[in-house]
Amino acid sequence: MICLQEIIHQVYFIICGLFALLLLRNLFKRKTRNNLVYDIIYAYTFIPFLLRALHIK
Amino acid sequence: MKTVYLRRIIILFIVLIIAFLGARELWEIRHFKQSIVASEDLTKRVMLSDYFEGIKGTWVDTPVYIFDSGKAGGSMLWLGGTHPYEPGSMVTAYVAAENIKISKGKIFLIPVANRSAWTMGDYGMGYPKYFTLKGSWGAKKFKIGARNSNQLDQWPDPFTYIHYPSRQKLAPQDIRNLNRTYPGRPDGTLTERLAYAITELVRKENIDLFVDMHEASLMYPVVSTYVAHQNAEDITMMAAMMLSAEQFPMKSEVSPKNLRGLSHREVGDFTDALVVLMETAEPFIDRVAGKMTEELMVEGKDEFLQRAAEKGLLYCDPEYDIEFGRPMWYRVGRHLSATMELIKQMGSFYPDKEIEVDFPLFKDLEKNGIMHYLHNPETADPNRLFYQ
Repeated sequence: MICLQEIIHQVYFIICGLFALLLLRNLFKRKTRNNLVYDIIYAYTFIPFLLRALHIK
Repeated sequence: MKTVYLRRIIILFIVLIIAFLGARELWEIRHFKQSIVASEDLTKRVMLSDYFEGIKGTWVDTPVYIFDSGKAGGSMLWLGGTHPYEPGSMVTAYVAAENIKISKGKIFLIPVANRSAWTMGDYGMGYPKYFTLKGSWGAKKFKIGARNSNQLDQWPDPFTYIHYPSRQKLAPQDIRNLNRTYPGRPDGTLTERLAYAITELVRKENIDLFVDMHEASLMYPVVSTYVAHQNAEDITMMAAMMLSAEQFPMKSEVSPKNLRGLSHREVGDFTDALVVLMETAEPFIDRVAGKMTEELMVEGKDEFLQRAAEKGLLYCDPEYDIEFGRPMWYRVGRHLSATMELIKQMGSFYPDKEIEVDFPLFKDLEKNGIMHYLHNPETADPNRLFYQ
């Protein structure tokens, strides 16, 4: 059970990392909503996923 | 196109700087070390994982300070920091750890019971990260933690937390709340394993008295109260009467049987210890309180609480008065004297469980303040200096 919990726990960190990469990709390569405001939103929302993936927050 | 890319790179760079600054602060909070200059009567310092291997190397493994007189008598496990956002309990434990003089029986002291919850704070509620106490030798910084274990150590929360073994349904986040996971289980979540380790310590060391210190909001009816397992009802009633007659008002109630997972219910049911939880008044926890500042944490003076008191909405005894507030020394002093009274009553009800111990009490803190009883780590004997 402890092992299973640990796997699920680590999967969440991996998912956070994948979301961070997705946001990073969409910051640079997206076809719609290309203005400055969306650049800031994509970059800003990248922070919590990055910090979670790095086991910081 | 190149301009757009350049713009995005600049924005990302700025965001990464912000993330770095935030990350550095969060890292410092998670790795903050509190100094303790242990009393000369400290026998040894062990880790909680010595009682249950299942938490070894995790963020919930925490130091246990053992004060053994070498003379047969009672034994007590004394917990601070079950909820590290109630720092009065931890400061009480630090004062005790630095000043205990024991001549009969044995005391096990855990200043920060849920160390994982201590590695973060309640910043969403606007809580400051630290508070500082000043004394004759300088200032000492204390960290304000959170209520539940850090999500970095235990995640995700379930939709419904089903308590083991009662199967009572509790709030999802309570699966990370040490005081909802007793008696714990060896193959459970990290917080359940922590609770199990503490219960194991009680069983293996034949603990007679288990005291779990907390702080409560002033609007919570259980504030300024002992909550005891029915096995400890007699000593608690007597202790509350003695305190109310001689030192400060103290209430007493018996642990409800249908409220599961709490120390005063489960540890009492699953071990032979007399289990008591204590609450003092912490103005920080009330949602009606104003700005969350270090001053509020240390002095406990808030105009909104005063207004609530005038409307009869508070349960603390004596009545809240902004002129006095609820200063840290008062809350710590209450915990110290309330614990001492429990020890005395246990000794008088059960002479074979007598503990003879001395540490600063309410009157001492009223006269000299907290910092008088905490020692300067820079000039301390390195053999007695610990960082945790």
